[in-house]
Amino acid sequence: MTDGIRTGRPDVRPDTPSHTKGTHQGNACGHYERAKGHLPDGRSTAARSTGINPKSRDPIDPGMPNLSPA
Amino acid sequence: MALQQETEQESRELVEMSWDPITRIVGNLGIYTKIDFRNREVVECKSTSSIFRGYGVFMRGKDPRDAHFITSRICGICGDNHATCSIYAQNMAYGIKTPPLGEWIINLGEAAEFMFDHVLYQDNLVFVDYCEQIVKETNPSLLRRAETTEAPRGNVHGLRTIADIMRAFNPFTGSMYREALQMSRLTREMFCLMEGRHVHPSTLYPGGVGTVATPQLFTDYLVRLLKVLDFVKKAVPMNDDLFDFFYEALPGYEEVGRRRIMLGCWGAFQNPAVVNYDYRHMDEWGKAMFVSPGIVLDGALRTTNLVDINLGIRILLGSSYYDDWQGEETFVERDPLGNPVDKRHPWNQTTLPKPQKRDLENGNYSWVMSPRWFDDRSQQHLALDTGGGPLARLWSTALAGTVDTGTVRATGDSVEINLPKSAAFPEMQLEWKIPKWANTIERNRARIYFVAYSAAMAVYFVEQALAEVRAGRTKVFTDFEVPEEGIGCGFHEAVRGLLSHHMVIRDGKIANYHPYPPTPWNASPRDSYGTPGPYEDAVQGTQIFEENGPENFKGIDIMRTVRSFDPCLPCGVHMYLGDGQVLKRLHSPTLGTSVPG
Repeated sequence: MTDGIRTGRPDVRPDTPSHTKGTHQGNACGHYERAKGHLPDGRSTAARSTGINPKSRDPIDPGMPNLSPA
Repeated sequence: MALQQETEQESRELVEMSWDPITRIVGNLGIYTKIDFRNREVVECKSTSSIFRGYGVFMRGKDPRDAHFITSRICGICGDNHATCSIYAQNMAYGIKTPPLGEWIINLGEAAEFMFDHVLYQDNLVFVDYCEQIVKETNPSLLRRAETTEAPRGNVHGLRTIADIMRAFNPFTGSMYREALQMSRLTREMFCLMEGRHVHPSTLYPGGVGTVATPQLFTDYLVRLLKVLDFVKKAVPMNDDLFDFFYEALPGYEEVGRRRIMLGCWGAFQNPAVVNYDYRHMDEWGKAMFVSPGIVLDGALRTTNLVDINLGIRILLGSSYYDDWQGEETFVERDPLGNPVDKRHPWNQTTLPKPQKRDLENGNYSWVMSPRWFDDRSQQHLALDTGGGPLARLWSTALAGTVDTGTVRATGDSVEINLPKSAAFPEMQLEWKIPKWANTIERNRARIYFVAYSAAMAVYFVEQALAEVRAGRTKVFTDFEVPEEGIGCGFHEAVRGLLSHHMVIRDGKIANYHPYPPTPWNASPRDSYGTPGPYEDAVQGTQIFEENGPENFKGIDIMRTVRSFDPCLPCGVHMYLGDGQVLKRLHSPTLGTSVPG
């Protein structure tokens, strides 16, 4: 494809930016459950947003939806 | 640069006229025509691109999880459509799906993108070709008539005559031109609320979004949306008045940019209740999308099945600067349903660039390949176009008749759009009816209706998202592992039309990746069967209504036609018509320097 075109010597492999096996992955299974404030049924508590007195930020009535502050 | 040269061909007096670059198509789009001024007709047209991108080449070996961040950079205006489409393809390859609230957030972001881009394009770029200043230069008698023609829907939008509408679209000074700029700011803010950053989203990932869903997020979106509704309720009747006037005042104008109805739409806005990103159920969840995928052939639906659509895609060469890949590796022999996958399908494509000098007469003249859809009934490779995006989306949705959200209803021959009350206007129902032609005017008219469609859909999406939040279901992403081997395909709509991403994973890395955005379909050159691409086809044979002769010809009817396809945000026309003089002849292939210009 590059007949007659002078090119330099490559100093990296094309797959250099890919994942290095064995290193931590943010998307790894189990991370969602392990994060604080995530309930198993897809709901969440104020602990999702803050670690400072999270319980005082949960709703006062258990029947109310628990909407964590952003 | 424009070139003008007289040639004798088949005893007709043809004048070569060229516009290169015509628009900013992430680089360079050139239109080369031969015009018969005596009979006021464009006899031949060729569309060229002199830029090479190479995504199919350098994506190999990358981490699949980076695909949406990298492919977003394909475009500086609809990058988020690429990111979204890539995420759909990744979801399929990883075997995951986005939680419902995450899906509504993506839909809201994409709806804002459609509103943003269409408004900016329509009012700030398309209407420059229809505004008072341009019409005065190209068709003075039309402007005189517009001055005395009452606008039939003036009671809604407040402008008395058609010429008043044309004045409202004058660049920089016109009221609609300036209001549209404000709208593009508002809609961009809406987009950023959902996807973090425009135009390369920072909060979209395979399996979900990083956006924190709170009631505040959706109310911030909604207050802006209500302002957009006011704009839309005024803009749609104004567009209708202007386009109807062109039909009425210039009999035969429906022939400008008209081509056979061959429209493709790959569907948009996933329905979280149905979608699971499993290829084996793609037909089912494709049909549940809130913009129905489909191929419209001669006014009838050829198929709405995404599996059929996928398997029919063929990438042809013929006039492009590439070597054929018939002898290269076949990555996917059969799809997950067991259907054979063609060698010319994007899953099996290997890009082999071959820079060379442009030869418009008998050789290769473009870096764009020729995507076609193989119709197994007629055994033809169809040069589908997107109708600029909205025409295909509305047409396919209308005929499919499955979308019914209350705010939008597809009836089988039209799309009803119900907009709720906003500050300046009461509730309003708009109806886009299937037009008689796929031409320049209808491509443009559909665009403003699709802004209304997106706005009405966004109202529905906000309600659905808030219902999730009120129920406390705040999960917006899901965990996943990247498989060692896998394939995926994503189908979405970029603002200007169909979009697909095809990916093959091997050893946990990308082995093959091919995005197919709308412009390769629309701007494709003649293929190996000699079939011209849609721009070429639409401009070829078109009648010239401009009142100027060859000496000060603006090419307005050709410009309107090419622009009606929304060729990747034109920034302006660089046109020189130097009384028959050749100003400068340039040729610069972008890969390699040893090819003589």
